[in-house]
Amino acid sequence: MPIPLARSFVTVVFSTLVLLLVCAVFAPSSLSWGALSGSLPFAAIIAIVGLGQLLVVQQGGFDLSLPGAVSLAVVIATHFPQQNDALLHQAVLLSIGISLVAGSLNGLLVSIFRVNAIITTIGTNALLYAVVFAVSGGVPSITTNLLAEIAGGESLGLPNSVIFALAGMALVSFALKKTVAGRRFEAIGANPLAARAAGLNVRIHQMMAYVYAQLLYCMAGTLIAGITREPTAFQGDSLLLPSVAVVVLGGTSLLGGRGYPVSTVIAAFFLNQLSQFALTVGVPFSAQTIIQALALGFGIGVYSIRWTVNRKTTTGTRKVEDKT
Amino acid sequence: MKHASLSKYLALSVVAATTAFATTGIAKAEAPSWCGPKKATLGLLDGYGGNSWRQVTTASGKQTVDLCPSITKYEYADGQGDTLKSISDIKSMAAKGLDALVVFGDAGPAVLPAITSVFKSGKVVVPYRVAVGGKDGQNYSKFVGASFENDGESWGNWIKSVLPKGGNLLFLSGPAGNSQGLDELKGLKKVLGPEYVFVNQEPFAVTNWDPALTQKVLTAEIAKNQKIDVIISDFGPSLVGALPLFAKQGKSIPALATSDGNSLGCFWQDNKDSNPDFKLFTVATGNDNVRLAVQWAVALATGGTPPSEQVFKAPAFEDSVSGKPSAVQCRKDLPGAIYLSSELSAEDQAKAVGK
Repeated sequence: MPIPLARSFVTVVFSTLVLLLVCAVFAPSSLSWGALSGSLPFAAIIAIVGLGQLLVVQQGGFDLSLPGAVSLAVVIATHFPQQNDALLHQAVLLSIGISLVAGSLNGLLVSIFRVNAIITTIGTNALLYAVVFAVSGGVPSITTNLLAEIAGGESLGLPNSVIFALAGMALVSFALKKTVAGRRFEAIGANPLAARAAGLNVRIHQMMAYVYAQLLYCMAGTLIAGITREPTAFQGDSLLLPSVAVVVLGGTSLLGGRGYPVSTVIAAFFLNQLSQFALTVGVPFSAQTIIQALALGFGIGVYSIRWTVNRKTTTGTRKVEDKT
Repeated sequence: MKHASLSKYLALSVVAATTAFATTGIAKAEAPSWCGPKKATLGLLDGYGGNSWRQVTTASGKQTVDLCPSITKYEYADGQGDTLKSISDIKSMAAKGLDALVVFGDAGPAVLPAITSVFKSGKVVVPYRVAVGGKDGQNYSKFVGASFENDGESWGNWIKSVLPKGGNLLFLSGPAGNSQGLDELKGLKKVLGPEYVFVNQEPFAVTNWDPALTQKVLTAEIAKNQKIDVIISDFGPSLVGALPLFAKQGKSIPALATSDGNSLGCFWQDNKDSNPDFKLFTVATGNDNVRLAVQWAVALATGGTPPSEQVFKAPAFEDSVSGKPSAVQCRKDLPGAIYLSSELSAEDQAKAVGK
């Protein structure tokens, strides 16, 4: 069983090293400390939303409410305090509260009422955007200085947002791999039927996946509010695809099961560095998009080819999974 | 009796208009000649109303409509960035019986069929700012565009004045291929010779006017280019979050030619001392484009005299070097997301964008 873990990890680390090598040759400036400290916060954001998406994907779900959740955290962190540092902690608590509600809503509908995850989360996304408009009227507002310092500052030579992302990764990894609840969570993702037969509370774990995910989106949104001085009210929109991309690049199957938080975070760095590479090389915008698409296709291809081989050898298991 | 009250209204409107113009510091003494005697109703349609620029623009449009008492009803619809909703907004406003429609056609030619059919049914239709294709008198009554080329020329002339020997320029605009950016580049190239090198990819660095993407793009450009002398951007406020990156990479913020915004003005005042190269030049961000469009629509619908201008030319606004036409302005007490270049008073703008 350790072999698949090694494979996804090795693949993503290897790809990242190749990318760094290519950067060093063709766009050395993209590896300068100035460039990295400017771009790493965005990698951190992708990593955090990726971790959230990872937990949902592990349960065979799909969370499309991410844009609304992130945008809402952004507007609450900027509009609620209206540049008053003293109100910031209230804003963050409010965000967390809303995340719990939105996550429970997603989770309840998907796990208890068995509504399709995509449909549920699209609906929740619309609801969250309604709140975004109610709070902000669609207008950007300026970040409080305190939040700009916390999210945009640096400690120990690293951008704070990166520290947040690493802490998130450590927490998710530890919880998934080293706690009883985490082991159950993964087992249920791999095979809910078998897990139920083994007496695990499948529904609760499936539901909680959405709640944890919302909390991570909330963290990402609050950080974006601090990193960009005047964030728009739609800052989450551009994060949905990268969030799924890093989960897939990190080696987690979209059908659920074992999750790879560390690989996901490395994949986020990879994806961000790739776009930074394209920007630095200065290729036309169309080519930038194509480069990213090709890299993604390659990443997904690597896993799907192996996957087909797996399918041939373990036809029996596949059939059971298909029926779920 | 009716006539008497009408002339009373007219007189009142003259007074109102004069005071309004006087308070906003515009030397327009005459009554709105574009406001004719015929009663009419007017709708203002936005393709995407979800940012402060649009809210200030909408409030400016409303203020302009209020100057003309012949307009008996005024309605507003926001397409919310959804092309289908924009189209159905246009059609339903016409179906409701409004006489004149002023349309911000964000979706471009996609809304042209709807506009054309409404125009053919006898309504006054004035698309503005974003080109929707088609022709005046065939597809709509009158298109009131903005001269982005003019903006480019203003920036170019200023760049020449602060950097006479040429240098490295970085030009940032919105989504790939947007016509505003292309027109601005045309204006820039008209004024600037080959000694001015654009270090960005052709035709401009794509930012989607998104502050996060702007930050990423600027990070890459600063790292790549040892020397950037001037940054040109058609949406100044989206740069505010990105400019501190220069300090992170140990460089001074360079000169900046852009459009105005309160947050940008305040940012300049806070940072000019620590960044010796940070000069700022802005053109008005163009909220008042809507005024010209509304005047045209009202004139055509009420039988007034149409304005003489056909195209909105954004005037130069702030110049930190010469202080003309105005020094850099900052109102710390008001939201960052307002535009002091707009005719709408800063307080009214704050109300329009505030909650």
